[in-house]
Amino acid sequence: MTATDPAPLAEGPPAAGSPTGARTPAAGRGLGGPAVALLRNRRARAGLVLIALVALFCFAGPLFYRTDQVTVHLDLAELPPGGGHPLGTDANGYDVLGRLMAGGRSSLELGFAVAVATTVVGTLYGAFSGYVGGVTDSLMMRVVDTFLAVPGLVLLLIMVSMFSPSLGGIILLLSLLSWLSPARLVRGEVLTLRTREFVQAARMMGGTGPRVVLRHLVPNAAGVVIVSATFTVADSILMLSTLSFLGLGLPPPNADWGTMLTGGLDFLYDGYWWLVYPPAALLVLTVVAFNLLGDALHDALDVRLKRT
Amino acid sequence: MTAYLLRRTGQAVVVVIGVMVLTFALIHFEPGSAARATLGTRATAERIAVFNAANGLNRPLPAQFVTFVKQALQGDFGTSYSLHQPVSALIAQRLPRDALLLGLSILLALAVAVPMGVYQAVRRDSAADHVLTVVAFTLYSMPDFFFGLLLVALFSVQLHILPSQAPQAVSVGGILADPRGLVLPVVTLTLVSLAGFSRYVRSSAISTLAQDYVLVARAKGLAESQVLRRHVLRNSLLPVVTILGLTAPAIVTGAVIAESVFNYPGMGLLFYQAATSKDYPVLLASTLVVGVATVVGSLLADVAYGILDPRIRYDRD
Amino acid sequence: MPLLDVRHLTTRITTGRGTVRAVEDVSFTLEAGETLGLVGESGCGKSMTGLSLMGLLPPGGGIAPGSSVRLDGRELVGLPARELRRVRGNDIAMVFQDPMTSLDPTKTIGRQIAEPVLLHQRCSRAAARERAVEALGLVGLPQPRRRLDDYPHQLSGGQRQRALIAMALANEPRVLIADEPTTALDVTVQAQILALLASVRARLGMAMILITHDMGVTAGNIDRVYVMYAGRIAESAGTDRFFHDMRHPYSQRLLASVPRLDQDPLGELPTIPGLPPDLLDPPAGCRFAERCPYATQRCRTEEPVLRGEHGHKFACWHPVRGPVPVAAPRRAPADATAPGPGTATTGDEMSATLPAKRAVSARGPGQPARAGGPLPATTTAVERDEPAPAAGVPLLEARDLVREYPVRGARLPGRARRVVHAVSGVSFSLAQGETFGLVGESGCGKSTLGRLLVGLDRPDAGTVALDGTDLGSLRGRALRRRRRDLHMVFQDPFSSLDPRMRVGAILREPLQIHSVGTAGEQRARAAELMAEVGLPERGLDLFPHEFSGGQRQRIGLARALALTPRVIVADEPVSALDVSVRAQVLNLMKRLQAAHGLSYVVISHDLAVVRHLADRIGVMYLGRLVETGSAEDVCERPAHPYTAGLLAAVPVPDPAAERAKRGHAPSGEPPDPVAPPSGCRFRTRCPLAQARCADEEPAPRAFGPGHAAACHFPLRAPLPEQPDAAGVVPQVPTK
Repeated sequence: MTATDPAPLAEGPPAAGSPTGARTPAAGRGLGGPAVALLRNRRARAGLVLIALVALFCFAGPLFYRTDQVTVHLDLAELPPGGGHPLGTDANGYDVLGRLMAGGRSSLELGFAVAVATTVVGTLYGAFSGYVGGVTDSLMMRVVDTFLAVPGLVLLLIMVSMFSPSLGGIILLLSLLSWLSPARLVRGEVLTLRTREFVQAARMMGGTGPRVVLRHLVPNAAGVVIVSATFTVADSILMLSTLSFLGLGLPPPNADWGTMLTGGLDFLYDGYWWLVYPPAALLVLTVVAFNLLGDALHDALDVRLKRT
Repeated sequence: MTAYLLRRTGQAVVVVIGVMVLTFALIHFEPGSAARATLGTRATAERIAVFNAANGLNRPLPAQFVTFVKQALQGDFGTSYSLHQPVSALIAQRLPRDALLLGLSILLALAVAVPMGVYQAVRRDSAADHVLTVVAFTLYSMPDFFFGLLLVALFSVQLHILPSQAPQAVSVGGILADPRGLVLPVVTLTLVSLAGFSRYVRSSAISTLAQDYVLVARAKGLAESQVLRRHVLRNSLLPVVTILGLTAPAIVTGAVIAESVFNYPGMGLLFYQAATSKDYPVLLASTLVVGVATVVGSLLADVAYGILDPRIRYDRD
Repeated sequence: MPLLDVRHLTTRITTGRGTVRAVEDVSFTLEAGETLGLVGESGCGKSMTGLSLMGLLPPGGGIAPGSSVRLDGRELVGLPARELRRVRGNDIAMVFQDPMTSLDPTKTIGRQIAEPVLLHQRCSRAAARERAVEALGLVGLPQPRRRLDDYPHQLSGGQRQRALIAMALANEPRVLIADEPTTALDVTVQAQILALLASVRARLGMAMILITHDMGVTAGNIDRVYVMYAGRIAESAGTDRFFHDMRHPYSQRLLASVPRLDQDPLGELPTIPGLPPDLLDPPAGCRFAERCPYATQRCRTEEPVLRGEHGHKFACWHPVRGPVPVAAPRRAPADATAPGPGTATTGDEMSATLPAKRAVSARGPGQPARAGGPLPATTTAVERDEPAPAAGVPLLEARDLVREYPVRGARLPGRARRVVHAVSGVSFSLAQGETFGLVGESGCGKSTLGRLLVGLDRPDAGTVALDGTDLGSLRGRALRRRRRDLHMVFQDPFSSLDPRMRVGAILREPLQIHSVGTAGEQRARAAELMAEVGLPERGLDLFPHEFSGGQRQRIGLARALALTPRVIVADEPVSALDVSVRAQVLNLMKRLQAAHGLSYVVISHDLAVVRHLADRIGVMYLGRLVETGSAEDVCERPAHPYTAGLLAAVPVPDPAAERAKRGHAPSGEPPDPVAPPSGCRFRTRCPLAQARCADEEPAPRAFGPGHAAACHFPLRAPLPEQPDAAGVVPQVPTK
C-alpha cells in the first residue's frame, strides 16, 4: 500500500505500447537478478576479489615461482626472508612462499570438495525428508540431530586417531560431518515450499514426487544451498587447520596452512615471524573471503538461513 | 505447551539413544586397537587376547553395548586405560570446571553480542555496521588456537600481565581464587562465539524492525530507544534462544582447542588426551557426556523459548 | 481555522534505485467531526500521506521543504522529534491495516493499550490499566477486564482490530488516521468495525482520515473524498457530489470497474488499460494520461492543476461529467459497449497489441463453444476422447463431502482427538458451461472444498464425480487422465507460479506431465495460450516476477487452460489484485468461458465478484452449505438469515444505497470449527434463532426452482413440502 512496496506493478513485461516498455526488469528471482544484486554488494565484491587473488596465487603462482616442496634441506632451515627466499624457509628447509602456494592448493581443494560433496548429499537428504514428511522425516531428522549432538571435532578426533588419513580421507571425514547443516536447511526450506501454491499446482496437474522435488523444490531451495555451501568452504578450511594444530592434519610431505602455522607458532616467541604471520594472514583472509561472499549471497538470494 | 514439551522431550530421548549407539559403534569399529594402544604396538596376540577378555572386549558387540548402557545408567563408565582412575570420577572432577569456563564465556559473548547486533541492525549499512561486520567476520575466521596463542604472545609474553597457563586447581573455588589465569581462556572462547551470535542477533533484529507492530509502537509516540527496549529486543532475542542450543557443539569444539592451548584441565583436554592415547573408556564416556549435554542444552533452549513466547506458552494442549 | 490543515505536502523516499516521488503536492483540510477519505489503488501514495502526517516515514524518506501540516494552527513539519512524539498517539493516532501483525506478540493486550496512556499522561500504572479497560469497552470487546491479560494470538482477527482501535483511542486523539482498517477482515467484521469507527468518531468528536481502496467503503463512511493517483490528488469532492458528478476520468473508471452487488452483471466490466506509472520517474504532464482515453498532447506535456469550485476540485484538462451510465441490458453481448467519450472501453492492457483475440471472444456467453470449438487446430496433441455428457448427469457433482483434519499436536494421551470440521456434508452440482459461486467468511471451508474438488485433498466421506465417474475410485492412469479435465486457479499470483521457472516452462509443464505432444508442439501451445490470455509471446522467456499481479493471474489462467480442461476451480482469483486490474481478469475469465464452454467453480469471500461471474451461488457457513440458488435468487431473494446478513454487510459504491440499507450484518465472528455449535451452526449469530435451532439441525427446503436453504425460520415462505424432497433440492446436504 505504500510507495516503499517493491511495486510489482511497475515491473510489467516490455510490451509494445505499454508505459513500462522501456524499463529493464529489476533484480529479482530469475538468474540475472541475484547476480546483479550480488555484484552491487560491497561484501560480495570484496569476497570475490579476495578469493580470485588467493586462487591465482595458489594455482598460477607455482608456474612462475618454482620451489622444491618435497626434499628436506636441513642445511637451509629457518632462513630469514631475503636472498632466494622472499619469505624465508621453515624448519625443514622448505621455501615458505612456495609452501604457502602448495598449502593453499590443498586447503582450497579440500574446501571445495567438501562443499560439493556435502551440498549434494545434504540437499537430497533434506529434500527427500521434507517432501516425504511423517515418520520417515522424523526418523531422518533424529539421525541428523544425533550427529549434530556430538561435536564435529570430537567425532573427527576419534576417527582421525584411528585412521591417520590422507587428503582424500580428511575430505571424506569432513564431508561426513558437514552434510548435516545443509540437510536441515533444505528440509526446512522444503517444508515451507511444499505449502506454496506453485507446488500444489504441480501436484494437482498429476506431477510425480521426483518431478516436484527436482523441478520445483530443489531449484527453489538453491539459494539456501548455495549460501550454505559457501560457508562450508570456509568452515572446512578452518577445521583442517584445527586438526593440524592437534597434530592430526595432513601427513607430510603434504603442505597445508594449518600445519605451517602450528609449526611456526612453536617459534613465535623467538622472532621467527615469517613462519607465523604469512600462513595466518592467508588462512584468515581466505576464510573471511568465503564468509563475506556467503553473507552477501545470503542477502542477494534473500534466504533466511540459520547458521548452525 | 504440554504437547510441545512432550514432543521435544521425546525427540531428545531418541537423540540420546542415537548418540549412545553412534559413539559406541565408532569406538568399537576397530576391535584390537584398544589393546594395542594400552599394551604397545608390539604386544603379542596372546597378551591382546588376555587384555580383551579382562575388559570384556571379546564379547559380541551388542552384548557389550547392553553392558555399557546398563553401567552407564548407574554412572559406571569403567576405568581409564591410561590414567587408571574410574572414568566417572575423572568426569565428575572436570565437568564443573567446564561449566565455569563455558558458562562465563557464553554469558560474556551474549553480553557483547546482543547490544552489538541490535546496534548494527538499527544503524544498518552505516560505516559502523560495516566495520563491526568486518570485525565479526575476522574473529569468526581465525582458527581458535591461533587466536589463543596470539593472546598469549601479547598479554603473557610481551606485556607480562596475564599468565599463559590456566589455573590447575582441582575445585571451581580454587580456580576462582586465581581468576587471572582464567582471563585468557575465557576471552578466547568469548571472542570466538561472539561473531556468530552478533550476526544472528543482527539479522533477527533487522527482521523485527520491519514488523508492523514496531511501526505501531512509533505511532504511539514512543521514542526510538523505548521502541527498541520494549518491542524489538524481546522479539528479536526469542529466536536467539534456540540458536544457543544449536551452537553448543561449536562451543565444545572451541573448548577442546582452548583447553589444549591453555592447559585448562577440563573435559576438552581430557578428551583430547584420551583420543591421542586411545583411552576408549574415557573417549566413550566423555563423548557421551558431551552429546547428552548438547541434547539437554538444546532441549532447555526450546523449553525457554516456549516459556518466553506466549504463542507457545498459552497454546491449548 | 480547520483542525488539520495540510498544504503542499510532498514526500520523497530515496531508495537504492532512485528517489520515489511518493506524495506530490497534496493539500486538504479536515474539520473536527469530519471523515475524510483518501481513496486510490496500491502505490498511489495514500498510505504514505497518512504516514507523512505522523512523521513516520520509512528510512530514506523525507518531507520536502514547502510542505505544511498544521494541527490547530501548530506547524508539525520540522518540529523537533521530541515535540512530534508528543503529538503521535496523543493528538493524532493511527490504525493500521493488518491486525494480525500490528500487535506485539509477546505483550498482553492490556499493556499495549496502556502504553500510550502512560507515555502521554501523568498517571499511575493502575490508572492506565483502568483507561485500557474503558478503551476496550468503548470498542465493544466483551468482558474487557478479562481480555486485558490476553496475548494477541488469543484473540480473533476482528477482536485484534478492535484492540488496535482501542489503543489508538486510549488518549482520545483529535485526529484518527485509519489506513485500510478493514481490508484484512471478513466482510461481516468489516461492517462491524466501520460502524464502530463511525460511532466512536461521533462520540469523541474526532476527525478521521479513512484510507481505502474500496469504493463501497468510501460511499458509506466518508464525508469528503480525495481520489489519489500516482502520488497526487486527482479529484476531491463531497461524497454525494463525487459519486454523482465525478469529473476526473480516473475516478470515473475506477468506480465503473468495480463489480456491483446491486446491479445485474453486465457483459464485461469497463477497465482501465495499462498500469500506474513508476514513481521513480513519473511522466511529465498528467500522470494518468497514458491510461486515459481522452488524453491529448496537452495532457502529456502540461501538468493539470487542481481546479474547480464549491469544494469540488479536479486535476484534468478534459474532465468528464459524472459516472459511466450503468443502464445496460442484462447479459449484453461482450462487445456491445462501444467505446466513446462518456462511456468506457472494454479494453485491457494488452488487447491493442493482440487483435486476433477479439474474434475468439466475440462469441456470446452461455453458448458452449466446446464441441469443435475454437480450440486451436495446431495442437493436434491435445485432442482426446471426449465422452459425450449423458443427459441428466451433471458435469461435476459433489455429494455429501466431509473433510475433517486433526488439530496439530493434539495427539496427547488421554485426550480426545480434536478435529477441525472444515467441510461437513456438502453437495452440489455443476452443469456444462455453468459457473457456480461459493461464498462465505474465512474459515467456512470453501477453500477446503475447492481442494477436494480438484483432488489436492481427499474427502473423509462423500464423492466428487466428473461425468458420473467417482474420482475417488480412480487410480493411476485413469485418475491422471481425469485430472486433465479439472484445473485450479489459485489466489496468490505471487506464489502460484514457480519463481525459478520461465513462463514458457510453466505453461509447458502440464503438457509435459501428461506427455502431450512433442517439444515443438508444446512450445506452440504455450505461445497460443499466451495469446489467449492477452499477453505477448515474448513473455514466455521471462520469469514470473517480471510481470504485474494481474498479468501473473493471466498466466495462472493460461496454465489452467493448457490441457483444455472442462472445469476450472478458481479460489479467490482476483482478491489479491487492484480494482482496475481485477476487472481485466474478471473479463478475461468470462471471455475464456464463452470461448471454450468452460465450467467454473468460483470461490470468493467477495459476494460482488461471485455475483458478477456466477450463474448459481452457494453460501457456506462453518463447513455447511446453507443456501443455494440462482445468483439472482440468492442476491435478491435470500431465504437464509446468514445470506441476508452477508448481503447487508457488503458495502455498495453508492451513497444513497448505503444510507437506505436495510438489514444488519451478522454480529460477532464465526465460532471455532473445532467445536461447531449444535443444530444450526449459524444459530449463535442469528437474530432469529430460537431453542429449536440448537436442538435440531435444519433440513434444506425449497424456495423456488433450484433455490434451497437450510433454516428453521427462513426469511421467506418455502414451497410446500413435496413427497420427493430430494428431487426438488438435489444440491443441498441431506445429512
